[in-house]
Amino acid sequence: MAADLLRTLLRRPAGLISATLLCLLYGMALFAPFLSPTIPSAQNLQRTYHPPTALVWQKGHLCVQLYKLIDPSTASYQALPGQATPLSWFSRGTPYKLFGLIPGDRHLFTVSTPDPVYLLGSDATGRDVFTRLLYGAGISLSIGLIGVALTSFLGLTIGGLAGYLGGWTDTLAMRLTEFLMAVPGLYLLLALRAALSSRFPSDATFLLIVVILSALGWAGTARVVRGLVLSLRERPFILASNILGQRPWTILFRHLLPNTFSYLIVAATLSVPGYILGEAALSFLGLGIQEPASSWGLMLGQAQDIKIFMLNFWWLLTPGVAIILTVIAFNLLGDALRDAVDPRFRLPGK
Amino acid sequence: MPGCVPLLLCLIGLVPIACTPKNKETRMDHPLPAGIDTARTEPGRRGGVFIDSTPGEPSTFNPLVSEDATSSGFIGLFLDSLVRNNAVTQEVEPGLATRWDIAPDNKTFTFHLRPGVLWSDGHPFSADDVVFTFQAIYDSRYPNRAAFDLSVDGKKFTIEKIDDLTVRLTTPEIYAPFLETVGGVGLLPKHELESAFRDGSLLKAWNVSVAQKEPHRLLATGAFRLRSYQPAERIVFEANPHYWRADAQGVRLPYVDYLVTKLVKDANASTLAFATGQTDAEGLSPDNVAWIDRYASRYGFSVFNRGPSPNTGFIWFNQNPGHDSSGKPFVPPHKLAWFTDRRFRQAISHGIDRDGLVRGVLFGRGQPLWGPETPANKKWYNPNVTQYPYNPARSRALLAEAGFTIGSDQKLRDRAGNVVEFTLNTNQENQLRANMATAFKENMRDLGITVNLSFLDFGTLVGKIQDSYDYEAGMLGLTGGGDPAGGISVFSSKGRLHQWYPNQKTPATPWEARIDQLMSDQLHTLDYPTRKKYFDEVQKIMSDETPYIYLVTANAYVGLKDRWKNIRIPPLGSLVWNLDELWTPLLTP
Repeated sequence: MAADLLRTLLRRPAGLISATLLCLLYGMALFAPFLSPTIPSAQNLQRTYHPPTALVWQKGHLCVQLYKLIDPSTASYQALPGQATPLSWFSRGTPYKLFGLIPGDRHLFTVSTPDPVYLLGSDATGRDVFTRLLYGAGISLSIGLIGVALTSFLGLTIGGLAGYLGGWTDTLAMRLTEFLMAVPGLYLLLALRAALSSRFPSDATFLLIVVILSALGWAGTARVVRGLVLSLRERPFILASNILGQRPWTILFRHLLPNTFSYLIVAATLSVPGYILGEAALSFLGLGIQEPASSWGLMLGQAQDIKIFMLNFWWLLTPGVAIILTVIAFNLLGDALRDAVDPRFRLPGK
Repeated sequence: MPGCVPLLLCLIGLVPIACTPKNKETRMDHPLPAGIDTARTEPGRRGGVFIDSTPGEPSTFNPLVSEDATSSGFIGLFLDSLVRNNAVTQEVEPGLATRWDIAPDNKTFTFHLRPGVLWSDGHPFSADDVVFTFQAIYDSRYPNRAAFDLSVDGKKFTIEKIDDLTVRLTTPEIYAPFLETVGGVGLLPKHELESAFRDGSLLKAWNVSVAQKEPHRLLATGAFRLRSYQPAERIVFEANPHYWRADAQGVRLPYVDYLVTKLVKDANASTLAFATGQTDAEGLSPDNVAWIDRYASRYGFSVFNRGPSPNTGFIWFNQNPGHDSSGKPFVPPHKLAWFTDRRFRQAISHGIDRDGLVRGVLFGRGQPLWGPETPANKKWYNPNVTQYPYNPARSRALLAEAGFTIGSDQKLRDRAGNVVEFTLNTNQENQLRANMATAFKENMRDLGITVNLSFLDFGTLVGKIQDSYDYEAGMLGLTGGGDPAGGISVFSSKGRLHQWYPNQKTPATPWEARIDQLMSDQLHTLDYPTRKKYFDEVQKIMSDETPYIYLVTANAYVGLKDRWKNIRIPPLGSLVWNLDELWTPLLTP
């Protein structure tokens, strides 16, 4: 069934493109330490707000254009014509741990000279935006997946139980979801963060944010799952299993919930962007991921300074582009999945 | 993208500014007082509206209640004092008193008031107002900040009226900053506020609601009086028709008719309002100067470098040996041993690339800082303090001397084998400070020291520093400048702002005892060179012992429209020192 689904999905151009893009993004996040030329905290105070370095072909090598700081008071750099330093491939550099486990020190590309390579420019303390973007992707993208996994689990369990058991379980669960859905999301998010944060070390904030976002997100899923279970409960095959004397738990977990999976897959895919945006919003407001870790929202938050716009440091806005791309890709993938899962839901014109 | 910026600016520029009062009024000309003060600047022409903006809102117009800079700034516009502290020269000048005599005991000051001065409602100003003001300040029903400033060791000054134009103030001990402190006390009108003083409601007088409904009840002796206040919109001051200063040609100051302050949401909005030509003056942070300069010719303004700002930035370690109510020490004992070791602190100081911070974070607009005063405080700054230039080799040598070793894993360990690691707390609101914290972390990594950063909101951070003491290191700033007496709570070991170990019963170290002695000595003499000598030594000890590891000080900048003449920009304090002398040949349309 899964293989079928995948085949149908990949036959649609939107599905193919978005799936490829997402694979690429997650791959980059996974292999960030290897793909990036340095580590996200490495700074260079001589090279703050450096523009993206141009790549030139020189003497048979792909080279990095060299720049000179011409005015520190405006952070303006000028390319030094004819001066470039070759990129060295798969060379040793700063040591890292891939997936947090495998130690390594090979980087896809580095430069040998003290001159840095800034594919996407540098930030306020001369750190490589490209490197921070890759490392930040790890946090921003995984928050979506972990969050969705948590909410799907919560939503499925609570919604399924409410729908199948009915009675006071149902009432209790549904009033709780209504309460959660009635409170404006962003404010609840901020309130929870404020209530839980005061003494959290910064490493734990990542987990905290996932928990907060999931605690707010399961309500919608739970309500739909409950509705589905309510209607499925009256279907002949459930009645049949009842008559066969199967136990309620078996019926719930073997027959009812698996039938909601197709909905869940689509809903989960479509709700991943919500988590990515939620993390971005929290970090943007200074309540999420903290320095020196990096996340897309945090990077955007640091770029909200008016001088960034006035001095045209556009490369600091690339995390925004990354967020937009990811969100669009997930939405397209979700649409394509929905079409693949249930052709009857297909939108007109597709 | 480059095309977007001017478009954005144009859009903002289209928003109408409805600040100029519509009906042009002629200014009343009352006869000048007998004791007129004549300005020594070039005579100008009357008229014009001076517009500036401020983030935030005044919380009161009552000097007894005001505790924030915004409110105090507005109060200073309409209430004058016996003497004026000239922010440009840092000298004391005559204000509502034309001269004063100091008795040989250096404790008795006789002030001779300016004759013929009237309040903005035409009522004469006299010694009764001065006595009333001090009565109000010292009244226990009205707790206020000035009461602390105007006392020595908890003892009040005594005030007596000699005649209508003479008052005598006596301090219980010799009190060095007496004139500067008196210069900060805005005098209150007895005839207006006495009834409120009697019935106990003085702290409710002159609040923001009175300012909105009856602005003219806020009587002025200053250059301006309040005309209207619309919260979240603007505050309009108009020229005080009874002001006591005039120019060489006998024209009463101020020249400008109106002073309009737009109340904006935040510092970004304030900066943007100036950069788009909507306001006449704005204090600019060093990182914004570069782009604002580009609009200078379009909107006809110039950016002035005021030189180093009085703001210091520093890192310090918690040296508090105490423990909380459950017996847990504030700082783990092995870390306390590092923090109280001078060599450790000096090594950290040598390991900080301050030039890099200036160049990278401040865009080259600042300078390294080595002591508690910045060069902005011309009168008290000691340039000969110990400096700690960036020198990781020296840091390592100092750490080795103190018994620290670097292992093969490039981590620094103390004698007992503890890895050197600490958490630096700072407030998250200040982006420049956050950048410095990340830069510091990297500098320390080069020494094998692991620094964890913790960004807290300001309130939480202050709670840690002043109440719970459960932190290892902090990074904050203080605004210096002014008289050394203002720094007593920082330097004295008993002080609340003695952040590395506040509220000590007895000085923990000999050098802290020495600072206590010097700070007390300088307070009890009026002789400037002696005081300077004492305070120089305080600055030297602070740099030698480095309880605060000073970082950098940014330059301060002021942007001002070119149409204003007679401008004098002080190195610290308000943007323009002589608002009453400003004039423009180009009147606002």
